[in-house]
Amino acid sequence: MAQNAQWPDRQASRYLGKDIPRVDGPSKVTGAAKYTYDIVLPGMLYGVILRSPHAAAQVRSVDASAARAMPGVVAVLTDIGRTARFAGEEIAAVAAETEEIARDALKAIRVDYEVQPFVSNTLRGKDIPDRVGEPQVNSRGEDPDTLWALAAAVVEGEYYVPVREHLSLETHGVVVRWDAEDALTCWCSTQAVHGVAGELAAGLGVPRQNVKVICEVMGGGFGSKFSPGVEGLTAARLAKAAGRPVKLMLDRYEEQVASGNGPDAYMRCKAAATSDGQILAIKADLFGTGGYSRRWAVPFPYSTYTVPNVRAAMHGVQTNAGSQRSLRAPGHPQGCFLTETVVDELAVALKMDPLEFRLRNVRGGVWDQQLRLGAERIGWSRRASLPKSGRFRRGMGAACTTWGGGGRGGSVCEVRIGNDGSVWAGIGTQDLGTGTRTYVAAIVAEVLGLPIERVTADIGKSTLGNSGGSGGSVTTASVSPAVMMAALSARERLAQTAAAMLGVPAGEVRFADGNASAQGKSVSFAEVCAKLPSGGIEVTGQWNQALQRGGVGGVQFAEVEVDMWTGGIRVIKVVAVQDCGYYLNKLATESQVIGGVIQGIGMALLEDRKMDNGTGRQLNPNMETYKVPGSLEIPEIDVLLFDTHNQVTGIGEPPVIPTAAAIGNAVFDATGLRMRRLPMTPKRFFDAQEGRMV
Amino acid sequence: MAEEKSEQKKLSRRQFITGAGVTVAAVGAGAVFLGNGRNAEKAEDAEQASQALEGAVPITLKVNGKAHNLTLQPRVTLLDALRERLQVTGPKRVCDRGTCGCCTVLLDGEPVYACLMLAIDAQRHEITTVEALGTPEQMNAIQRKFVEKDGLMCGFCTPGFVTAVHAVLAKNPNATLDEIRKGLRGNICRCGTFNRVFEAAVEVAREMRRA
Amino acid sequence: MNNFAWLEPKSVAEASQALKQGGAALGGGIELLCLLKDSLVTPASVVNLKSVSGLNGITANDGVEIGALATLTQIAQHERIRGSYRALAQAAESVGSPQLRNVGTLGGNLCQRPRCWYFRDPEVHCLKKGGAKCFAVGGDNEYHAILGGGPCYIVHPSDLAPALIALNASVSTNNRAMPLEEFFRLPAQRMDSETVLEQGEIVTGVKVPAEMAGWKSYYYKARERESFDWALSSCAVALRTSGSSVQEARVVLGGVAPIPWRSKEAEAALRGKTLDESVAEAAGRAAVAMAEPMSENRYKVALTRNVVKIALLEALK
Repeated sequence: MAQNAQWPDRQASRYLGKDIPRVDGPSKVTGAAKYTYDIVLPGMLYGVILRSPHAAAQVRSVDASAARAMPGVVAVLTDIGRTARFAGEEIAAVAAETEEIARDALKAIRVDYEVQPFVSNTLRGKDIPDRVGEPQVNSRGEDPDTLWALAAAVVEGEYYVPVREHLSLETHGVVVRWDAEDALTCWCSTQAVHGVAGELAAGLGVPRQNVKVICEVMGGGFGSKFSPGVEGLTAARLAKAAGRPVKLMLDRYEEQVASGNGPDAYMRCKAAATSDGQILAIKADLFGTGGYSRRWAVPFPYSTYTVPNVRAAMHGVQTNAGSQRSLRAPGHPQGCFLTETVVDELAVALKMDPLEFRLRNVRGGVWDQQLRLGAERIGWSRRASLPKSGRFRRGMGAACTTWGGGGRGGSVCEVRIGNDGSVWAGIGTQDLGTGTRTYVAAIVAEVLGLPIERVTADIGKSTLGNSGGSGGSVTTASVSPAVMMAALSARERLAQTAAAMLGVPAGEVRFADGNASAQGKSVSFAEVCAKLPSGGIEVTGQWNQALQRGGVGGVQFAEVEVDMWTGGIRVIKVVAVQDCGYYLNKLATESQVIGGVIQGIGMALLEDRKMDNGTGRQLNPNMETYKVPGSLEIPEIDVLLFDTHNQVTGIGEPPVIPTAAAIGNAVFDATGLRMRRLPMTPKRFFDAQEGRMV
Repeated sequence: MAEEKSEQKKLSRRQFITGAGVTVAAVGAGAVFLGNGRNAEKAEDAEQASQALEGAVPITLKVNGKAHNLTLQPRVTLLDALRERLQVTGPKRVCDRGTCGCCTVLLDGEPVYACLMLAIDAQRHEITTVEALGTPEQMNAIQRKFVEKDGLMCGFCTPGFVTAVHAVLAKNPNATLDEIRKGLRGNICRCGTFNRVFEAAVEVAREMRRA
Repeated sequence: MNNFAWLEPKSVAEASQALKQGGAALGGGIELLCLLKDSLVTPASVVNLKSVSGLNGITANDGVEIGALATLTQIAQHERIRGSYRALAQAAESVGSPQLRNVGTLGGNLCQRPRCWYFRDPEVHCLKKGGAKCFAVGGDNEYHAILGGGPCYIVHPSDLAPALIALNASVSTNNRAMPLEEFFRLPAQRMDSETVLEQGEIVTGVKVPAEMAGWKSYYYKARERESFDWALSSCAVALRTSGSSVQEARVVLGGVAPIPWRSKEAEAALRGKTLDESVAEAAGRAAVAMAEPMSENRYKVALTRNVVKIALLEALK
């Protein structure tokens, strides 16, 4: 059966490959869905964490006596951390009857800090030798310094993409309840129920099988929520000490300073192209910070282009700021912006159409096709006729993306069908808003010929089979093949029973519209189930690699309007061509692309995690001054799903990668102003006009 | 102990009703709390514990047509009272500073941020949350359209958006796309559902006009 | 937030008394709740001004009188204000978001504290909070003042104030009345507050005079984020014109100085002139001629020049 398994033809299917409204939609739009943040248990306490106000400090002592004595304070931990490497690092924790009292108690804890010198950001830190790690050099072909003389165009400059934040709306956090001395239940806002269970077990010294992690719905992760974190372990310890459940959810300040970020990238670059429009060589020095560690790199030059001669040195800069965590396509938006800006500059220096230049240099046919398709769709030929003078100017730009998105082995899905006709599919994966729960139900419904409402899709529990964490866009390609195989296996068993009832060979039984039919005869699904062995059937399905595949391209085109008087940049339209293989749910797949583009617009125009050189603290740990797109920043977004093959591929990440680059290139096209520093705020616009680059 | 508690209650009520020229002293600093290890299994226990909190006062909140009596400290926000005390968890806590819209509720029909209102200040108003607009089994037109058009992904911002769209269309059933965008400028979605939220709202308006 | 008592005074006198005893004034709550949540203020009591009747009306008589507790939505949607005092309606509409405007009040908008991120960080003891230095100097001052700054470089965040001053409004408290222009204090004059209010003093309302109804007014606000954001630079203008010839002009800048900044320089460049693009451009230049940009906010000079120009040209339409 494994060799024969394939996704149904979209023309003939009921659900797969079509628009499938989310099965958890009704609970989400009515406020019925319960997220970790929403959980209130009897006797529950509220946990809060005391954090270092200093960017660098050793803790000499912690005196929590006043806090312990406060009415309503039930448990205090003073040994969470002894060193602060950034302002916001965890030191102590309190659990109290209300969150207000817990925060009162934090203020009553006396910590004696020995404050130390700090460095807050890459732009300062890169010039301080003992803050900079050993360079990692990306090298191929000849040394670019030997080739400049051969070039028809050489461009040189400084570029900067700042640190960005995930800004998940639901913050990190848990609700922990000890069920026995060495057993606990933990609701966690997470992308990895199994990973969290394993870490909690190890961190608390309890058997793994005694840890149950639940995450049925969660309010965004974008790569930051794979671990229980200090907050998860702390909540568990507080709950143990208090003998009562504890809810510990980070507040917005904590979420923004201490739950990870996407690193920055500073670059000095010199690049050259030949007269026939080929990229010749790129030499670059890059610096960035992942926080306290010195490990840092971005993919540069971005792999969508053929660049024969490269010397790119990556230097990690140690700063006293929150640590990086994977942020939707980690490193790629940065690498893509830097590369695509340089590529665009080379095209301009050669006086060549930037689209033409890209066509001559992309690494493979898929981008060639997609660039042509996207150009046609946005009307690239209109470019020259757009207003390029006066107050409001318009332009277009393009950029390419690439990603993996293939699945990984190990996923196991269980399907159980009861004598009462109930259908249950369980797999220990997560739905981050990605639509996992919906396609799990849809696959089973499709294969068994049932309406989707008849299938219960059970996910988000560490008691279900391990399917791995939801990151890297691997979930769909990991989960869906296992679900398909389980569904096929279930159908095979049902067919045997139906065949006996109908007096036909099992191979002729077809399941559709709630019935099992063959040779003009039919019985209802419910009747078949009633005839199953007592207790119904239970089957499992394993990951089948033939049903999935990795490796996607993609391109985006942006049209912008720039107000030359205010420096205001308005994105009018984005065309996103995203290859995606067999999409299970067209609606959800398009939503992923749209969502990625909007995050890309945020990166282009607004997002910037700012650290203060003087105080060592984050200047904008809130949603007022860490800005993301709102309703008036949203352009028309035209999604073309470029499905070139019949296997499932994940595309959660590729759509966020090229947007900022496309916008930057469009701004140049509109104004002749090259924005080498993100975000492209009015400040950056006027700075660029007056030659203040980075 | 009992007299102490009822004395506390008396003081609380008086300070709440008059407030006139009274500099209110802290109530019951040595009040009774659940000590270590005792689980408050019952709602009454929890309510008792709340009454014992310093400065806690009785209030009444009218939420989704129902009156709820609570005792809480004046500093508790409407949002936290809804979520933690009444377990009305549709409105979400995200920024807690009135910058994201996820806590949007209707106050006498007008959209407001519940995080920037004190529960005690929300008395004598009709508070409506997303839960009153429909249930999973019986969604209202806006909710159904959100699901149909995929105007949601993780869903954490969705109650705020549904409530805000409801407010826009209730005031202006003929709202154009431009007016809908402007009415939603106080709501943020990080997953990026805006385009489909707009589509859903525009189509609901169109269908309302036809009806 | 600290634990505070809740007071519901029934009169302005009672409210004033409560404030004198260490209470904090609550209008809509938008500003106060943020200050409380960040522990920037820790009052023993919160004084609900909304329980005092008579402070939330908008009365159109000869001019228009707006009570301190009128909401931004009420101001933005008021027919007389929209018709005769356009800049004020536009300013009110530009504040925050619909949810904020439904609750935020005139009084709160005028009396709000600065957005400066050093000021708003409870761990940073800046000059304005009684500390020794202004962290914006030599720090990240991209949103800070280019006019009137020093020794503290905040910008005044109110949108209503520039519009009201352009419209020659006067403000009343429970003690006195004055032109709104005189209500604000530069850091050099007063550090612990941006207004003249003394403890126990409450804004009761503003009045926009009848004669301003004949002026052409406009409020333009440049933002990083159109959806919902503070001004990078804003300008309220009111012009008494005869045809397109400017007889009198009032030009007030927002977001660029510690107080709403009346630009006499811009006004002088307009008086007696026919307002066209080049005159508007000249007025913009005049408005920033004395600007002293800081290390990160030079862009505000060019931006403000253009914001003034835009407000003037739009006012004529």
